[in-house]
Amino acid sequence: MSTFKDADEVYAYIGKAMEACVVEPAFVEATKDGSLVVKIIQTAPDATILVDFPGQKVLCGDAAVDAPSTVQLRMSSDNANRFWQGKLNFTLAMAQRKIKLEGKRSTALGLLPLTGPIFDTYKTILADAGRTDLIVD
Amino acid sequence: MSDKMTEDEFEAAFAAATELSEYFREIGPDCDVKNKFPKQSIAKFKKSGLVALNVPKEYGGLGADILQTSKIISELSRGDSAITLAYNMHFIMVGMCMGLFSEAQNKEWLGRVADGDIVFGPFSEQRAGFSGLADMTAVPQPEGGWRLYGKKVWGTLSEAANIVTTNATITDADGNLPDTFEERVEQESFFVAEFKVDAKGQGDGVRIERTWDALGMHATGTHTIHFEGFYVPEDGFVCSWRGGAFGVLEWASLMFASIYLGMQYRVLEEARAVLSKKTLGATFGAIAAAETKVANVGHIIDGIGDMASRVELSRRVVHRTCQELVDGYDDNWPVELRFPYIGLAKTFTAENVMYMTKRAMSLVGGSSFRRGAIFERLYRDSAASMFQPLNADQSCTYIGEQLLAPEELSD
Ligand SMILES: Cc1cc2nc3c(=O)[nH]c(=O)nc-3n(C[C@H](O)[C@H](O)[C@H](O)COP(=O)(O)OP(=O)(O)OC[C@H]3O[C@@H](n4cnc5c(N)ncnc54)[C@H](O)[C@@H]3O)c2cc1C
Repeated sequence: MSTFKDADEVYAYIGKAMEACVVEPAFVEATKDGSLVVKIIQTAPDATILVDFPGQKVLCGDAAVDAPSTVQLRMSSDNANRFWQGKLNFTLAMAQRKIKLEGKRSTALGLLPLTGPIFDTYKTILADAGRTDLIVD
Repeated sequence: MSDKMTEDEFEAAFAAATELSEYFREIGPDCDVKNKFPKQSIAKFKKSGLVALNVPKEYGGLGADILQTSKIISELSRGDSAITLAYNMHFIMVGMCMGLFSEAQNKEWLGRVADGDIVFGPFSEQRAGFSGLADMTAVPQPEGGWRLYGKKVWGTLSEAANIVTTNATITDADGNLPDTFEERVEQESFFVAEFKVDAKGQGDGVRIERTWDALGMHATGTHTIHFEGFYVPEDGFVCSWRGGAFGVLEWASLMFASIYLGMQYRVLEEARAVLSKKTLGATFGAIAAAETKVANVGHIIDGIGDMASRVELSRRVVHRTCQELVDGYDDNWPVELRFPYIGLAKTFTAENVMYMTKRAMSLVGGSSFRRGAIFERLYRDSAASMFQPLNADQSCTYIGEQLLAPEELSD
């Protein structure tokens, strides 16, 4: 599987998928009264994305690093690429310490059932950008 | 109507549990001797209304939360730990399922439980117990649904159940298990289906083989269940097993803890009954006297005090853990440690009940060792507490591993 060149690529693809998510009606409905602000902290390449569901906004890079969040999700950029395509089993990844999740459990796990629709959005973004090499079979 | 069980409703359910517990106490010794699940108890269990104890009210149940359910299980276990351990499987599976079922499944299956159906959950296999990925296969069928093939060697409550919940790994059309570990985890799935067997334990694609022969917990009827092409329709798929179970395992570990807490109540009750009255007469030993009443002997007084302290501590640990879950305090624990932290209540009661059954025998003396004495029975039954998940060793490994893990991710 190919990998991201740099953080800008992470923001262009994963960041963009998150931007589509926060305004999608199903997400808006499920998160509008909550406090789900997820900080995705990636390594290799290093990148930080803040997804503010109730505020319906996404911050990338330095702006995201200092912003407060209720859930922190750490993983490598490769695993993030797999995860947002539905190709990384979350429970197993957590048991194997490939993903580290911090924050209030109920808020954090509230995130999981919501991830399904993101997968297609993300794959479409990759395909539209001509990065089918990042799509996992 | 409140969607929660009110205090009055709880009192009524508890009174029903006390009555059922008395009945279990009466029939328990015979089941132990005959190594048999008491089928005659099924009608009483259903009549007590407790079958629907932890089914939410919206599906026709009594709506008990995890603390209320725990108290009722301990009350039943006080009467007979083995019979209660059998029915406990029902409460565990109802608790786990309601967090994993879809709305349609909740309506159908929990609705059936509210009408009196009983659920069991054979998961553990021969190769490895609860933590072993299922070797049992779920082979996709051209008409939809799956056929299950494999063997579950710990099928508690199978002789009373009408609903089976189990885990199996979805294969390709030819029945081949996935090649990689990751794929196996991904494909291991949780299923629910109707369970119907005849008096000989034979059903359509499923059978009970009466293999239960163990040190204790005789009345549980923990037999082997053979799945030999057992059909599960498409709507019997619940979810991915490990991902799903991870969030609801408190129902298993805290209900086991409640069993062993009830058993502690019983050990103390029986030890007090004997030791408050027993007189040794004239003795020449640690105490040399014309008349030795055991209730006046120092180590016996201390022993009862010690046992009562352990009961009270266990009660607080179990009830407090349940209450913290009800209040959502578990939100404050690191996500990875939630399951072993909840499990501490079980390992704590397990250690204490095993200690107490041994201590009670030592205080009561040799008569407790004779076959048929309640103490030898409780001693044997309490040994089962070592095994249900998570056991003490695995809990410590789990916690220690997390706490010693480096900050960096392992990629
Ligand atoms: C009375 C009774 C009734 C039961 N009823 C049921 C039932 O209805 N349904 C059901 O599914 N099960 C049931 N069980 C089975 C039980 O839950 C266990 O699965 C079973 O005891 C075997 O698991 P184990 O961990 O003890 O043994 P094994 O899985 O064989 O483990 C062997 C050893 O390895 C350790 N170990 C196991 N897995 C791991 C791991 N992942 N990491 C580190 N160490 C590990 C264990 O601690 C143990 O020391 C019942 C058990 C009893 C005693």
